[in-house]
Amino acid sequence: MKPELNSKQTSSIGQGGERNYPYYIMNPPEGDRVNRFLEAFAAVLQYSDYKPLLDSYCMSNARCNRCAVTCPVFQVTHDPRDIPCYRTNLLLDIYKRYFTLGGWFKTRLHPGFELTEETIDEMMEIFYRCTACRRCTKECPMGVDHALITRLGRYILSLIGIVPKALQVSVDEQLHGKTGNTSKIPKVALLNTLEFLSDEMEEQLGVRMEFPVDQTGRDRVFFCAVSDYLLEPDTLMGNAAVLYAAGDWDTWTVGTGNYDGINYGLFYSDWHLENIIKNIVKEVDRLKGRSVLIGECGHASRAAHDFIPIFGGKKPPPVVNFMEYTLECLRKGKIQLDESIITEKVTYHDPCNIARSGWIVEQPREILRSFVKDFVEMAPHGEENYCCGGGGGLVSVDEIHDYRMNIGGKVKADQIRKTGAEIVVAPCANCKKQLRELVDHYKLPCKVMGLHDLILKAIKIPGGKSPLERKQEAAQMEM
Amino acid sequence: MQQMIDFAKGPLFALTFLIMVLGLLRHVIIQVYSLIIRKGRRLKNAAWKKIALDGLSWVIPVKHIIPGTRIFSASSFLSHIGLIIVPLFLAEHVVLWESFLGIGLPSLGTGFADALTLFTIACLLILFCYRTFVKRHREASVGMDYLLLVMIIVPFTSGYMAAHPWVNPIRWDTMMLIHILSGEALLLVIPFTKLAHIVLFFFDRISNLHWQLRPGAGDRVAEALFEEEVRAS
Repeated sequence: MKPELNSKQTSSIGQGGERNYPYYIMNPPEGDRVNRFLEAFAAVLQYSDYKPLLDSYCMSNARCNRCAVTCPVFQVTHDPRDIPCYRTNLLLDIYKRYFTLGGWFKTRLHPGFELTEETIDEMMEIFYRCTACRRCTKECPMGVDHALITRLGRYILSLIGIVPKALQVSVDEQLHGKTGNTSKIPKVALLNTLEFLSDEMEEQLGVRMEFPVDQTGRDRVFFCAVSDYLLEPDTLMGNAAVLYAAGDWDTWTVGTGNYDGINYGLFYSDWHLENIIKNIVKEVDRLKGRSVLIGECGHASRAAHDFIPIFGGKKPPPVVNFMEYTLECLRKGKIQLDESIITEKVTYHDPCNIARSGWIVEQPREILRSFVKDFVEMAPHGEENYCCGGGGGLVSVDEIHDYRMNIGGKVKADQIRKTGAEIVVAPCANCKKQLRELVDHYKLPCKVMGLHDLILKAIKIPGGKSPLERKQEAAQMEM
Repeated sequence: MQQMIDFAKGPLFALTFLIMVLGLLRHVIIQVYSLIIRKGRRLKNAAWKKIALDGLSWVIPVKHIIPGTRIFSASSFLSHIGLIIVPLFLAEHVVLWESFLGIGLPSLGTGFADALTLFTIACLLILFCYRTFVKRHREASVGMDYLLLVMIIVPFTSGYMAAHPWVNPIRWDTMMLIHILSGEALLLVIPFTKLAHIVLFFFDRISNLHWQLRPGAGDRVAEALFEEEVRAS
C-alpha cells in the first residue's frame, strides 16, 4: 500500500486548480501561503524561546538516521519522508535559509533552498504522519527532540490556518464555545451523566455514591478526558470506586465551570496549550481546590503535569495522575483488590505521553500485578514502548483512519498479537479509541479497557457487594 | 618544505585553534544565555534527574546499540574514542600542547596509538559505506555529511602514514604537511558544521528544558499575527 496520509487525496493541487489537503481543514488558507508561513515563523521566533534550540539543532543535527529504526511509522512504510531526521530538517532548512546569518550569506552566493507552496504541502502531510510518540528522541545521539520540532512545525502551520478540522473544532469549542469542552457536553448533561453513574454504581456495587459537584475547599479537583463522560463509564466508576473505598469521598470534586482535561494544544499550538491550562487552573482556584487529579488520559496528564507549573501562575496546584493516587491507596492498604476476579491474560499498553519520560511506568504495573494473576508484558514496553498509532492528535482525525490502521498502528497491533493477551489495559482515552479500532481492524482476539475498568471489577467496596458477587451477577446478565 | 611545516605547526595552528575555540565559545555563550537567563525560574520545573540519567547513558552508550542499526551505531560510538583520545594524547601531540598551552598531558604508547588510529579509521570508513550504500542513510544524507567524514579520515590516515614510512607512498614532509593542514582545516570547520556537537551535544541533550515554554508567548504571537485581522473584522 502506498503510504499516503489520506489515500483518497493524493495530489496537493486538484484538477481545477483547487488545493486539496491531506485531512479536512475547515477554512483552508487562500493565496500566498509561503509569506504567511514565514511571517508566522518570524513571530514565533520573536516571542517564544525556540531560537537557541533551532540554532543548536541546525548545527548539530547529524542526520545519522538511527532514529529511522525507532519509528513505528518508518518501520512499516520504509519511506524516507518518515525518517524523523528528514521531517525535522524540513523545518530546520527553512530556519537556516530565512532566519540565520549563514542562510543570508549563502543565498548571496547561491539561491539554494527556497520555501515553496510544495514544501508547505509536504510539511502539512509529513508533520501529521508523526504520532509525536518521541521514541526517536530517546535514541538520537545528539538529543534532537524531533517531536518538539514537529510540534513547532504544526504550530506555525496552524497560525496560517492549516490544522485538521477535528482538532480545531474541539479547541474552538473548549476555549470559546458555550460548553467549554471538546465534546460539547453541556453542564446539564454532565450532571445527568453523574446521576446515571451514581445509579449504575448503586446497582453494580450495592452502595449509593452521589458524585461531589462544585464542592469548595477539596483536596482534589477532578479532570478527565471529557469524552470519558460519554464513552468510558466503567473508567469513571472505577475512579469513583477507588475514592469511595479509600475513604476519600469527601476529598474530591468535579467542577462544572470546567471539567475537561483534554488539551490538544499539546499537539499543535503553544497558544491553545497555555490558555487551556489557564482555564484548568482558574477552575481549581474558583473551587479553592488544592490539587489537580487527572483521570485516565495520557496527553491530558502530561499537559497538566508539565505545563501547569509553567502556565499556572505563581502558586500552581500540584498535579496527580489517578494511577499515582490509586497506587498510593493500595500501598497504604486503603483499598483492597480481589485477586481471584481477573482470570484472563492481561497486558498493559504504555501511553507515550506518560511513559516516555519515565513518569508513569511502574505504578500501573504494581497495581496490575497486585490483583491480576496472568500479566504479560509487550516487547518492548515502558519508556521504550510503541505508540498506539493515534498519538499526537491523529486519533481524532477520522479522515486518516486508514493511515492509522495500516501504518501508524500496525506495529502496535503486531505487539498485542504476540502477547496473546485477552485484555489490553490502556489508561488513556486516545489510546483506547485507537486500540479498539485496531482490534476491530486486525481482528485481534482481545478487548481494550482502562486500568480502572479492571479495578472496578476487583475492588472490595466497604458495605457493598463483594467482587465475586458482582462477577456472578455480571455473568448472569451476559447470559 | 620544513619552513612550511613549521609555519603550519606554529602560527597557522594557533590561528585555527583560536578560531575553533572562539567559535565553540560563541555557541556555549548563546546557549547558556538563552537557557539560564531567558528560561529563568522555569528551569526548576525541568526533570533534572531524568536529564542527568539520560546524559550519563550516552557516556557509555551500550544500551543505545539498538537492533536495526547495531553496526552503524557501534561504529559511530567507537569512532569517538579515537576521535577524542588520539588528537589529545598522541605523544607527538602532547609535545604540541605543552609548547602551545603549557599543558602537560599523559601520552599514549606508540602501539596503542597506532591500533586506535587504525580502528578509528575503520569505524569512519564503515560510516562512510553506510551513507553511501544503505538506502535509508543515503537518502537522508547531504554532501556535507560525506565531506566531513573525508575531512576527518584524511588527518588520521595521513598522520598514520607519516609515522610509518613503510606505508607512506610519498615524501615524509609532504605527508606531514597534508596531515597538519587537513587537521587544521578540520579545526576550522568544527564551529560552523555539525561537528559543533563537541559542545552543542551537552545542550541538545537537555531538550526537556526547551519544553519549558515561555508564558504569554502564544498570546503575543497571536496578537502580532491576527491583530490586524481582528481589527478589520
